[in-house]
Amino acid sequence: MLEELQQRAQQAVELAQASGAQGVFAGASRGRSVQFEYRDGHLEKVQESTTRALSLQLYVDRRYSTHSTTDLRPDELKSFVADAVELTRALQPDPHRALPDPALYEGRSAADLDLVDPGLSELTQDERIAWCAEMDEIIRADERVISTTAGVSNGHNLSASVSSNGFSGSHESTSIWMGTEISLRDPEGGRPEASNWIGGPHRSQLQSPRQVAEEALRRATARLGTRKGPTRTGTLVLEPRAGGRLIGHLLRAANARSIQQGRSFWAGKLGQRLFSERLSLIDDPLLPRGLSSRTFDGEGLASKRLPLIEAGLARNVFVDTYYGRKAEMPPTTGGSSNLIFEGGQGDQAHWMAEVGDGVLLTSWLGGNSDATTGDFSFGMRGHPIEGGQIGPAIGEMNVTGNLIDLFSKLVAVGDDGWAYSSTRSPTLVFEGVQFSGA
Amino acid sequence: MTSRRRFLGGLSAGLCIVTMPSFLAACAKQLPAGAVDLNAAAPNNPFLDWFGVDAATLQRVMSELTQRGADFADLYFQHSRTSSISMEDGLISTASTSIDQGVGLRVVIGDQTGYAFTEELTLEAMLNAARTASAIAKGAPLPAVGAWTFNSAPGQLYAVQKHWSEVAVASKLPMVQALEGYARSLDPRIQKVSVSWWDQDERVLVADLSGKAYTDRRPQTRLWCTCTASDGSQTVSNGANLAGRHGQERYSDEALKELAAQAVDRTTRLFEAVRPPAGEMPVVLAAGASGILLHEAIGHGLEADFNRKGTSIYADKMGESIAPDFVTIVDSGVEPNERGAIAFDDEGKEARSTVLVENGRLASYMHDQISARHYGVEPTGSGRRQSFRHVPMPRMRCTFMEDGPHKHDEIIASVQDGIVAETFTNGQVAIGAGDFTFYIKNGWLIEGGRITAPIKDVNIIGNGPEALSRVTMAADDGKLDTGGWTCGKNGQGVPVSQGLPTVLVSSMTVGGVDA
Repeated sequence: MLEELQQRAQQAVELAQASGAQGVFAGASRGRSVQFEYRDGHLEKVQESTTRALSLQLYVDRRYSTHSTTDLRPDELKSFVADAVELTRALQPDPHRALPDPALYEGRSAADLDLVDPGLSELTQDERIAWCAEMDEIIRADERVISTTAGVSNGHNLSASVSSNGFSGSHESTSIWMGTEISLRDPEGGRPEASNWIGGPHRSQLQSPRQVAEEALRRATARLGTRKGPTRTGTLVLEPRAGGRLIGHLLRAANARSIQQGRSFWAGKLGQRLFSERLSLIDDPLLPRGLSSRTFDGEGLASKRLPLIEAGLARNVFVDTYYGRKAEMPPTTGGSSNLIFEGGQGDQAHWMAEVGDGVLLTSWLGGNSDATTGDFSFGMRGHPIEGGQIGPAIGEMNVTGNLIDLFSKLVAVGDDGWAYSSTRSPTLVFEGVQFSGA
Repeated sequence: MTSRRRFLGGLSAGLCIVTMPSFLAACAKQLPAGAVDLNAAAPNNPFLDWFGVDAATLQRVMSELTQRGADFADLYFQHSRTSSISMEDGLISTASTSIDQGVGLRVVIGDQTGYAFTEELTLEAMLNAARTASAIAKGAPLPAVGAWTFNSAPGQLYAVQKHWSEVAVASKLPMVQALEGYARSLDPRIQKVSVSWWDQDERVLVADLSGKAYTDRRPQTRLWCTCTASDGSQTVSNGANLAGRHGQERYSDEALKELAAQAVDRTTRLFEAVRPPAGEMPVVLAAGASGILLHEAIGHGLEADFNRKGTSIYADKMGESIAPDFVTIVDSGVEPNERGAIAFDDEGKEARSTVLVENGRLASYMHDQISARHYGVEPTGSGRRQSFRHVPMPRMRCTFMEDGPHKHDEIIASVQDGIVAETFTNGQVAIGAGDFTFYIKNGWLIEGGRITAPIKDVNIIGNGPEALSRVTMAADDGKLDTGGWTCGKNGQGVPVSQGLPTVLVSSMTVGGVDA
């Protein structure tokens, strides 16, 4: 199958060249996925799909455009590519637009990233439905449950890319996820919900249905009797699974495009100590069995470990070929893969005990940040921490500040990185955080 | 990496637009004069040719899909052609196009759904997908559909002078350049202006078990203007966008100037903007984009699937009084040229306007076929899906509140200390708890009944039923937002619209600083 995709990408390159494109980067992909959803004792939904697509980046007389299609019939494809090249000619020439330097294609890792579990294809439908049924049964044993949905999904994705200046590469990965969502009846009126999803490329990365269900139930019951949180400043303990969203905002403008466009608080800060020295963050595309592992990026650049923040020092940002040329920065890679924290110690329980008094944040609700200034304001839910112990649920409150300031007040980093996200955030502790509630 | 996420929630329009006396007048005026839909009501259905299928193929596939029985079943063919252009640093140097086509096949039996799709529209691929989707059912085959009847959407709801796939890129470039030039010329502090253009020509064919087939052609477009400004000590950025189911004629020179002015105003106002105090306070929602309040505080909670499962905070509240009697909230699929307009929903049900809250009382949920059957009511035309890859669900279309009895100035004057919320980037709701949020990008501080300093970047959090009961005033200046909103639910995004008159909520929690 990979060979077929490789051929399809190669043909697309030739087609575009024949229409007059000087530079072409083409990608062909195919994916297959199956999902089961089980609700309140019954199989509710089965969905199966096969997708395929072709994408093109075209360089025509210093003009640039990108295209994709799912209509792969030969005649349609031919006219699609010809139209695409023609459209590109209507644009303005841009001296910075060109395919990547082929030297950056070199040095691709030969390591086995272990992203394919051949055993997944042997998994029967009955097995997956049985996992759902087990989760469902464990959860519905609790009389407070209004409704619960359990699900299992698995997939297999293949892609191949070819460029007109010598790049050729392919990628294959499998995935399996299981989890459940719960809605509970709260005697005090609300209907709190919680979910718990885990998975990865390999079946061995799953937990037992019982573990998944019990954790979901624990998270849902923890929300019973939620009270409005306080308005105060204090210490924030961030649960590992909630870390990804905050780190996403921190890195949203950590790229050459945002910097060159004047829309990044990272602008002019590389090499400076911007954050707490506890913070060391690495983009690691070569993590075995990682959710976003890869050996080359969307432009074909060979993937390498990229330190973003070293002991609080802003070290690197994501730089693709075009914005690298425009901003005069050497290309690194176009975007993040797996984000890994280094040098952490202790788990959530340890840090709650250390903190003694503060607020534990277990999930977000809305909010946003300004990538130019770093100002943020997010809705949150969690628990007060009193004497190192977790208190009754609080919600309907916001946490507000500035990202640079917040991450300069990072006082502790745990070693309990959340494995079911590309951002493996551990427990993080921040001091002097503004909360607003009642 | 950043641009897509940034605009997912959509930025929005503000107070610069002339306020219309009522919603419908405001909407009707947006219809281009003399617009003609060239493809409307063609005698032989052009869509069958277009997807390369004929009535016999539909019949074959439907028979295969219902070989093990079905309460209902449908085929959803879709073809969308999308085109975008962007201008940065004075150059229009990037364009994109994409074609996405396929068919989704669905079998529903009881409350069980079997679903499969294929991007390959050959008989063999469709039969394969049909067999996969049918596997969930365990009954006897249904009789084949005898004859198909085809219904085309009448075409007035989103008439365009020219379908987007027939509009040459060369005709778009001068508009992009003009918008960029206007924004650049408005304020010397503007350092960078970027413009993004997006349009889509979508064709849909829904064929159901009763032999009815519905076809629709849905235009969609959006134009963004994003600015970065610097005054030497501070750099700020913001933007505005104009969106709808329009043709190119929507982008008149006047409209481009207005969009540029909005983008520049919203950006430069950030220089002086402060964060309001933290905690609970009165919040005035400015007319227009503040319809986000309805979307989050009550809209999602009235989608019938959440109520059927009992997980919505509004479950079991039908008929109850939940807001003051001047509050009437509508979700409508028939507001011309709105993003949420749909002539037929994605299950082939005719679009209509649904009153959700009538004079303060809960009046109706929004239904798809599954929930309508569950509740024994007519579908409300709210069954929507992101694409042929997704199952339909009850969704909002264009959600707004009718005008109230108060005046805008009277509302501002009634607030001792509070804020005005004017433009937004995004919102969210937890259906069961009823807690909802929205993020204010631009707004104002109210001190002693007067508007004082601009504010920025605050999240508002409240509880749906509580916030509705605290709507103490609503003005007579309702309007729909002209910015483009996309609503996300269970991983599916659909275009929606929203609107509101000026409304006072007596208390919500503001994510400010320095309590």
